[in-house]
Amino acid sequence: MGEAIVITSGKGGVGKTTSTANLGTALALQGKKVCLIDTDIGLRNLDVILGLENRIIYDLIDVLEGRCKIHQALVKDKRFEDKLFLLPAAQTADKNDVNPEQMKELIEGMKADYDFIIIDCPAGIEQGYKNAVAGADRAIVITTPEISAVRDADRIIGLLELEENLEAPKLIINRIRSHLMEAGDALDVNEITTHLSIDLLGIVPDDERVISSSNKGEPVVMDPSNPAALGYRNIARRLLGESVPLMTMDKPKPGMFGKLKSIFSSK
Amino acid sequence: MKAQVTGFLKNIVNIKGTNKGLLIQLNDMASYTEILDELKKKVSDPALEGDAEVQIQLAKRHYSKAQLEEIKKVIHDNSKMKVIGTKCDVVTVEECNRMIAERQSETYVGIVRSGQVIKAKGDLVVIGDVNQNGRIEAGGNVYVLGRLKGFAHAGASGNKEAVIAASWLEATHLKIADELETMTDELDSLSEQPEMECAYLHTSGKIIIDRLQELRFLRPQISTFKGGS
Repeated sequence: MGEAIVITSGKGGVGKTTSTANLGTALALQGKKVCLIDTDIGLRNLDVILGLENRIIYDLIDVLEGRCKIHQALVKDKRFEDKLFLLPAAQTADKNDVNPEQMKELIEGMKADYDFIIIDCPAGIEQGYKNAVAGADRAIVITTPEISAVRDADRIIGLLELEENLEAPKLIINRIRSHLMEAGDALDVNEITTHLSIDLLGIVPDDERVISSSNKGEPVVMDPSNPAALGYRNIARRLLGESVPLMTMDKPKPGMFGKLKSIFSSK
Repeated sequence: MKAQVTGFLKNIVNIKGTNKGLLIQLNDMASYTEILDELKKKVSDPALEGDAEVQIQLAKRHYSKAQLEEIKKVIHDNSKMKVIGTKCDVVTVEECNRMIAERQSETYVGIVRSGQVIKAKGDLVVIGDVNQNGRIEAGGNVYVLGRLKGFAHAGASGNKEAVIAASWLEATHLKIADELETMTDELDSLSEQPEMECAYLHTSGKIIIDRLQELRFLRPQISTFKGGS
């Protein structure tokens, strides 16, 4: 029996969909069977980031309205043999076409077949949020080190804490820019966790390759040398129950050899 | 009790000097119109000291708000005396229930997050932070064992004596009774380290922030503790 995790944030653009894709991929890399559900009906993106856009035949609404069976709508990611699946959102409907009871029933029915069901929640606290949260067992809140994102995270945590069937939400701080934090120009990890006072699940450094890999349809987590990928891989390991120390944000100072190398490699 | 609060008193209105100024005693057995007429006569007496402060003793009779206003108006219009308060030996059931509710204290343990509103009829104790856009409201005083970073309203049912106290007072808005203060940068009373502070309504009508230690002098009535060694 797997567990259903909703990934939410309140604010848009903090990296819910990117995190869903990367955490799902990281769990699949660890050999877990994962299904990602995009609940952002009308504004679907998860399929694009996973590079599965062209393979969609049926979607969430088709399943809920009985036009197809679940297995027909699921898109299999061929890079991971039978480990990673996507249930895409519909693009031609809107959030009010689904209700929380339907979502709950759907996810309950799927739990037996997967280790993890990861639900990508749309921004906002309206119908789309309610649909996304309905079937979840636990929640992960994504924020960035910006005051506006932290405020919205606070609001969403308040709402999540009212949900009776949900475990206490956990926090991911995304797009950390260490130089801004060190200069005191951005909230630091400690400030954010004390303010929100929920458990920190992990941090993900800001990295340009997150964007480029998303554009290519290959989640960045597949590149083991990337710092953001490491952040996501650590989070996935923590979700599996391992205790992984929090990654340090300070960049290693280049030694003599490193300095020489950078002189020769520049330009 | 002395005879002053009973109906045995012959006079309908009695004016008496005390060490705290004058006391006007109204006979609780007389009719209201009689009292008004007699009061008017008595206070118009030129022998009375000019601008004295007076208290009105209402004894065992309940006056409506409008009636009290009328009585004060009679005194005000016919003399230079200043009414500084009324004393009454009776309250209505409604008033009594409200007073009991306001004296009770409710406790909330947890964080008051953005968008959440916590209300109490009496005093409110929050054990935890009040985050920005979180709101706490109390008929009585507000105490926060944590960081108050949101909106706090004390004395919501009109009590101007109510205070707001917090381990860390950096609220965005403070409201006491009907007076609202936005805690903008222009406010010079804001401290760098807003630790252990309280806010109260000054007689000038402005909300003032002070150290928590001053509270026992500012609002001694908050302390209900009796005895001790």
